[in-house]
Amino acid sequence: MLVLRRRAGESLLIGDDVEIEVLAITPQGAKIGIRAPRETAVLRKELKITQQQNEAAAHGLTGADFHDALKKLRSSSKIDSSLR
Amino acid sequence: MLSVLTKYFGNLSCRPEAVFEFPAGLPAFEDEKRFVLIELPENSPLVFLQSLTRPTLCFLAFPILVVDREYKLAVSVEDLGALDLDPGRQPELGRDVLVLALVSLHDGFSPTANLMAPIVLNLKTRHGLQAIRQDRVYSHQHLVESSSREFPC
Repeated sequence: MLVLRRRAGESLLIGDDVEIEVLAITPQGAKIGIRAPRETAVLRKELKITQQQNEAAAHGLTGADFHDALKKLRSSSKIDSSLR
Repeated sequence: MLSVLTKYFGNLSCRPEAVFEFPAGLPAFEDEKRFVLIELPENSPLVFLQSLTRPTLCFLAFPILVVDREYKLAVSVEDLGALDLDPGRQPELGRDVLVLALVSLHDGFSPTANLMAPIVLNLKTRHGLQAIRQDRVYSHQHLVESSSREFPC
């Protein structure tokens, strides 16, 4: 991974048409501005991870594998139905 | 009662209170705005989040404290607002909200639960959303441990 040190107000260029500017840095985090073509998707990484994880979760298993997995899950640890 | 065609259990009768609206859908499933929470005693504590518009879409989930009894919520102010919850504090589990961790089954691997992006259901308004954490405290692939070692039978 390329690591660069930038101060507030300084920018980075990625390729010909993406600019990333550090707008402000606070103890809560860095405020980033992004200038990119409309067709370039800009996503928080957590959102992408959540999308992928949801797709995996929706896929599930079928038939005997599913019932087998269900049985294992039911016997999963720290089960306490009062914890709702 | 409401008759729901489900992915795993055929037709089920559900109480209208088990239906939750997701105004923003779920990431990757933005068009799915209504889910019914299916709790069957024989599958407890596992629950199912069945889409009302797509019978083939059904998530498996655990109440989050079942996966991690020390779990601490960190719902963002934006998400609290979207759920009509007090933005000044974290909601109380079981009283204000029901919080679920979606489970992923992997062929030949241990199941995992998504603790990074829990499903938060407002018990008063029956609205829900997936609250993606901004911190890095919890994994999106938390291993669901098997109890067979702890409780041999």
